[in-house]
Amino acid sequence: MYYPRTRAEVRETDRRDEAFYQDKLYILEYVRRRLLREIEQLRGESEAELGRDPVDHCKSRIKSAASMEEKLRRRGLEPTLEAALSQVRDAVGLRVVCPFLDDVYLVSSWLSRRDGLRLLETKDYIADPKPNGYRSLHLIVAVPVPMIRGRQELAAEIQIRTLAMDFWAALEHQLKYKQCIGEEEMIVAELKRCADETSSTDINLQALRELIAAAAGAGAAEAEITQQQAR
Amino acid sequence: MRILIAEDERELSAALVAMLEYNHYSVDAVFDGADALDYALTENYDAIILDIMMPKKSGLEVLRELRRSQVNTPILMLTAKAEISDRVAGLDAGADDYLTKPFAMNELLARLRAMTRRRSEFSPNTLTMGRVTLNRANFELAGEKASYRLGNKEFQMLEMLMANPGRLISTEQFMERIWGYDSEAEVNVVWVYISYLRKKLAALDSGLEIRATRGVGYSLEEAQ
Repeated sequence: MYYPRTRAEVRETDRRDEAFYQDKLYILEYVRRRLLREIEQLRGESEAELGRDPVDHCKSRIKSAASMEEKLRRRGLEPTLEAALSQVRDAVGLRVVCPFLDDVYLVSSWLSRRDGLRLLETKDYIADPKPNGYRSLHLIVAVPVPMIRGRQELAAEIQIRTLAMDFWAALEHQLKYKQCIGEEEMIVAELKRCADETSSTDINLQALRELIAAAAGAGAAEAEITQQQAR
Repeated sequence: MRILIAEDERELSAALVAMLEYNHYSVDAVFDGADALDYALTENYDAIILDIMMPKKSGLEVLRELRRSQVNTPILMLTAKAEISDRVAGLDAGADDYLTKPFAMNELLARLRAMTRRRSEFSPNTLTMGRVTLNRANFELAGEKASYRLGNKEFQMLEMLMANPGRLISTEQFMERIWGYDSEAEVNVVWVYISYLRKKLAALDSGLEIRATRGVGYSLEEAQ
């Protein structure tokens, strides 16, 4: 569950999460905030350097106890806190949603160059979408957590995608199509077609942005030359 | 594919145009026989749909004059009356097919496909070049891992490029064939669509590039 949540949701899940994560919850919370700070830093820097923000919005979550237990059981592991922290790499999750396609790769290369974050794995579901059409760039990073004695690392998952990919994923998630037996194959094919159309538009918008930037650049260069000639 | 429709019933004509454009055809619509003849003689269409009962010149007259002028474009006649003599006269005058009104849109589409297929002898459903395949039935451009659905004009443009690998196609040829005779689109729209296609070919790791020859046009080549 991603933030913000309603108060009732917070109370209910927090009680279960606290019972499951116990005194380790603060580690997860530390990692979540650390990653959010990284994104804030990137946005500030980009505004200053490039004059634009490559991030539209950002969400974060700590995996609920319920879905953590479910995931551990599915993988044939004991649903213990120990297993959750050492075997699962998305106990902390960050989702960064970008306006344009190139912004996704800008965010990812910036994050993988950060001191203190260790990139463990990149899964590029944009170049290689999931069979249902899902597109996103997933990074698994190890975040160092300072402790009284020495330090510890915790893995976290960062999903980076465009508004268009996010829009598709959010709506796909709401369709409970797995219940309609018999029609599933057709619906999956249609969802994939929608994803392929949305991504086509995503690419076109990126291309348009570059054409506009090139035209503006050429315009500025021309103006400069005329100015110089005037002098 | 470019289609000319000559049909004087405005509502039916508008419905036909909408449906054909939805199916990725480029369509010119005229409303009488004289215009039909003018357009068919000056433009290059892949198929022509002619209503028989039209003002100024009947569909049959237009058909006869076109065939007399060596225009061999496939022609589908639309007849209001189901009279056998009409159909026989049309087919004998050089029509490729006919449909009696009212007809189902699906049938019209199928007949158009059949007619244009016969003309180009063998036109496969897919075009493959480099590491990508363009599917003519669903407008999907697929690489080895990902795929995109192309819009109407993008699709037609890439179809022209892939059907003529390595051959230079001019901006005017794209304009004429895809945007049509009296389009108000400006020529730099071609350049915009070329950028869309270039990005997609790159994103799919196609091994292809669209090469531009300044002031002349574009060609699709295997990347070096």
